[in-house]
Amino acid sequence: MQKISDDLRAIVLLVQWDLTKIVRRVIFVAMRAVWFAVQVVVFGQVLAQMVNAKVIGLDASTYYNFYIFGIYTSILFTITASRAYDIAEEFEEGIIEYQLSLPIKRKVLAFGRAIGSGIASTLFTLPMFVTVLILAKEADPLAIAISIISALVFSIAISGLVLSITLSIKSSDATDILMGVLDAILVRLSTVFYPAVVLKNIAPYYYGALMNPLSHVADILRILYSFEDFKAIVISHPLAMASYVLGLFMGFTFLAMYIIEKKIEGGGWK
Amino acid sequence: MSEKAVEIVNFVKKFGDFVAVDNISLTIYTSEIFGLLGPNGSGKTTTLLTIATVYKPTSGDIRVYGYSVLSDGNKVRNLVGIAFQEPKALGIDKPYDLLLWHAKVVGYSSTEAKSVVKEVMDDLGLWEHRNKYFYQLSGGTRKKIEIAKILIQKPKVAIFDEPTAQVDVISKHYLWDKIRELKNEGSTIIVATNDMFEAERICERLAIIYKGKLKAVGTVKELKDSVPLGDVVELDLTAHVDSKILDILNQFGRVSASGNKVLIYVNRGEEVAVNIIDSLRRVGVKVVRIMVKEPTLDDVFFYLTGAKLKEEV
Repeated sequence: MQKISDDLRAIVLLVQWDLTKIVRRVIFVAMRAVWFAVQVVVFGQVLAQMVNAKVIGLDASTYYNFYIFGIYTSILFTITASRAYDIAEEFEEGIIEYQLSLPIKRKVLAFGRAIGSGIASTLFTLPMFVTVLILAKEADPLAIAISIISALVFSIAISGLVLSITLSIKSSDATDILMGVLDAILVRLSTVFYPAVVLKNIAPYYYGALMNPLSHVADILRILYSFEDFKAIVISHPLAMASYVLGLFMGFTFLAMYIIEKKIEGGGWK
Repeated sequence: MSEKAVEIVNFVKKFGDFVAVDNISLTIYTSEIFGLLGPNGSGKTTTLLTIATVYKPTSGDIRVYGYSVLSDGNKVRNLVGIAFQEPKALGIDKPYDLLLWHAKVVGYSSTEAKSVVKEVMDDLGLWEHRNKYFYQLSGGTRKKIEIAKILIQKPKVAIFDEPTAQVDVISKHYLWDKIRELKNEGSTIIVATNDMFEAERICERLAIIYKGKLKAVGTVKELKDSVPLGDVVELDLTAHVDSKILDILNQFGRVSASGNKVLIYVNRGEEVAVNIIDSLRRVGVKVVRIMVKEPTLDDVFFYLTGAKLKEEV
């Protein structure tokens, strides 16, 4: 029991580490928040008028709601993925070496950093999520609670992936390029902007979107908001989508734990 | 001899094709202050970081109180604390928050952590800097914060990588006292330094490392005695040095004489000096002034490593 409480304590402290470092991201997140505001207030509104959503059984205002939950998912992914730059900075400044020397199990270090990173990213996007809820006129407390939990689980999963990639490639330049490419591909090859029923007409895109965690998270949020409106156009059954996101959470977190415990050592940053 | 605290066994560390540490074996005993002495790039930091489990050995092993860094990393990390050569913090960190977090991670409760952090920060003159950003601090202050982590942690094996680099002379002496105090409280201390004076002042035993290889291990005295004819006996005589006097002096070592001044290169200078005076007195030559100089650690280093002054090290 003592060991478990030591591990829990370490996880709490690692989460605290990420939350206290949140201030260094303010400018980046402010820029993303402005982008988000333009997307939902201008672009989303115009797009909803342009898109003939009736072919998929939606009216313009429903498509707008479809769009803003997608945009929220994409911003959550972008902000979580951008943790790669923080981790790169921490490696360059020797913080990772410092943390590797601390009396914390490596698995706990990986798990704590993934959770801390996920919580920090979700917290950052919370004002944007509230904006989406207001625009969508969503007020069901249960739906809101499940949405936030889904967002958090997704963000922790992506943090695990980002930790694994950044610490493995040990290069700021490679991290920049890889994260930029990942962001561009994953956001577009998903149901963030286009419903799965439309993607079905283009098989490679559809199967790409089916594998893409962003599709599942965006569609979970939509289903939670309005099951009736979206049940026919989401990428999969709600339980299947939830299981997929949970599976990614476990998979990517274990990947980070494995890499940090077995593979990572200090030095060698390029 | 005391219990083995750290046992380095055939330790090799390579980075790609570069061999940073080449087959080092040595033992560090409980509650001693052990120094790793060598120039920049000699493998000291690599060795320390491997003891702290930050690096993994390419081959060989390092055991801390019997626990292997390869298979018992978690147990090793519970015994070891390291003050890095470059202080580890982000520019936006504040010293108090950083040290408080560190104190909690190494096992203090919240209340204890606040108390011990205040005590150590006060002690090192850091309290007034507690709420400044790290980027606002001088190099010396940053270094003290790095040292403070270990003074708070009080690990069984405390590692200091160039603990007084960038620190002013007053603080330097104070930090040495703090390191000795930590040793007296039961910690085994490992100090890496390229400062011969620092090594001589605080280390009880030393290992000289050069280009990744271990050149010698011993106390400062043992290392100095290992330099053949390393002591210098300087004499001023009442008479000019003639062939008769030279014959006498040549029995003790290599002689360099000019007028009535003589330099004799010997082993164990203090013991030999007495015999020199006796021998000269027997032939009626008096010694006006005598001085015995030991080799410095610089001399020891150059002798053991074969390094040259102009060599890129």
